[in-house]
Amino acid sequence: MVSINYSSREVCCKIVYYGPGLSGKTTNLQYVHSKVPASTRGKLISLATESDRTLYFDFLPINIGAINGFAAKFQLYTVPGQVYYNATRKLVLRGVDGIVFVADSQPDKMEENIESLVNLEENLKEYGYDINDVPLVIQYNKRDLPGVMPVEQLNAKLNLRDWPFFGASATIGNGVFDTLKLIIKLVLDKAKSSSAPRPSPAEVERRTPVAASALAANGASGPSAASESRPEKPLPVTAASSVPPTPVPAEEPAPTAPLESPPVVRTPEVSPAETTDVAASERGAMPASYQYRPYPGSEKEEDSQRKISPTTFSPVQREEPAEASIGQKLIKPNSADKEDPSERAGTPVMAPAVRRRSRKKRRGFFKRLFGIK
Amino acid sequence: MANDNFIIYEEEITRIEAIISRMLQSAEAKCALLVDKDGHLITRQGFTHSLDTTALAALLAGSFASTKEIARLVGEPEFSVLFHQGKKDHIHMCLIGERSILVVIFDDRTTIGMVRLCAKETAAELTKVFEEISQNSQAKAASAVSDDFASMAQDKLDDIFQD
Repeated sequence: MVSINYSSREVCCKIVYYGPGLSGKTTNLQYVHSKVPASTRGKLISLATESDRTLYFDFLPINIGAINGFAAKFQLYTVPGQVYYNATRKLVLRGVDGIVFVADSQPDKMEENIESLVNLEENLKEYGYDINDVPLVIQYNKRDLPGVMPVEQLNAKLNLRDWPFFGASATIGNGVFDTLKLIIKLVLDKAKSSSAPRPSPAEVERRTPVAASALAANGASGPSAASESRPEKPLPVTAASSVPPTPVPAEEPAPTAPLESPPVVRTPEVSPAETTDVAASERGAMPASYQYRPYPGSEKEEDSQRKISPTTFSPVQREEPAEASIGQKLIKPNSADKEDPSERAGTPVMAPAVRRRSRKKRRGFFKRLFGIK
Repeated sequence: MANDNFIIYEEEITRIEAIISRMLQSAEAKCALLVDKDGHLITRQGFTHSLDTTALAALLAGSFASTKEIARLVGEPEFSVLFHQGKKDHIHMCLIGERSILVVIFDDRTTIGMVRLCAKETAAELTKVFEEISQNSQAKAASAVSDDFASMAQDKLDDIFQD
């Protein structure tokens, strides 16, 4: 499925290089990367093992620039070719727009080629694609090696659907760009015609399984390839294929439930949460239990000062502070602290320390007033 | 589904970007990418200039796909949230609908819990938007690629791909 972004004005296509191990898929990408101007290509990313065998995929983005105001972007992927990486190989095929099947032209690799082609069809089927619907180009690679099979023979065994094909030598670069140009053309043609997705009767007729016909055409070597490939095909194939027969129907109903319910639930969820937060923060700023209380001594001191009269200063009272002054200084801070909680809870009483100090001041005041020495 | 073209129009992408940037602000994350499961970048928000977002999108989609396969082997249909922790930067990925992934890249200025909460809310909003997009693109599928697009592309390719 071609991704078209009208906002950033981009058309994105995914092209996958498929084929057996060591057939030259990564080499294809490396050649493209080395020859294409830096402004056109992105970084070649290779998720490979230490021995440079592809582990997951290689990735090369190409941006051929604006066409009709849209930037045409192509993402070239390769798959890991080895048989036991089928699980990851299948993942790369997700959302593929076009496939380049890189076949090894050496005679002893023919079985691997056929096995890989069969595997491609199986994997595409699991995503709901038909191999006849996906644009595909075959590349017979390694034409530069001595003793390779003639293209006609390769075609007779592999190319049973009249796919376009090229002989190539990826290390030198022969045929690499031809293959890439053609697959891009086919992908864009397909995108153009995808508005009319109904297959023509001719296409329907053509939809015979490639796997069966490939093996049949291959004659004696076909079944042997299949029988050899079976034990090699590891658990991932069977395990994966047992689950995904219904990937699309299984996925489709599932999202509808989460789609509908969470927004409905969530939007009311958010607003009460916010309102409770606001309420909590307001309470935090001014808790209901909190009431402003003046410092116990501050108001009472004024009251007591108002009550001051010369009669309160009897000689007995005058002597009292003199006796207790030393003790008061030591004890009063503690006793004042102890009294604080009780004062807050009940009736506030003027702290004794303050009272004494104020009396001293008063005494000084009256002494000065009456000239007492 | 196999033949669906995925078409996003400007007003939809504006809505999507608004939702994502609101999420970035509330989660205090560095940047966010919206990636198709096929590895295409749909949109990006935040400080993404230093990032190779195309490659990042392809790799993240690959990572998500492989995790899905792991989930199947374990007996789960899919892991909907993925988290990569680094020394400074961390990545939180979550599924949106059935074909997109919201990727949030954040550092220690925020917390995983905050990012997760915001991403979850955003995922629900975006799911709605994507539902509408899929309906729209079915309705307007005819206007996908113009006739001369392919031929013009070929001319360009001839210029670029010269041995």
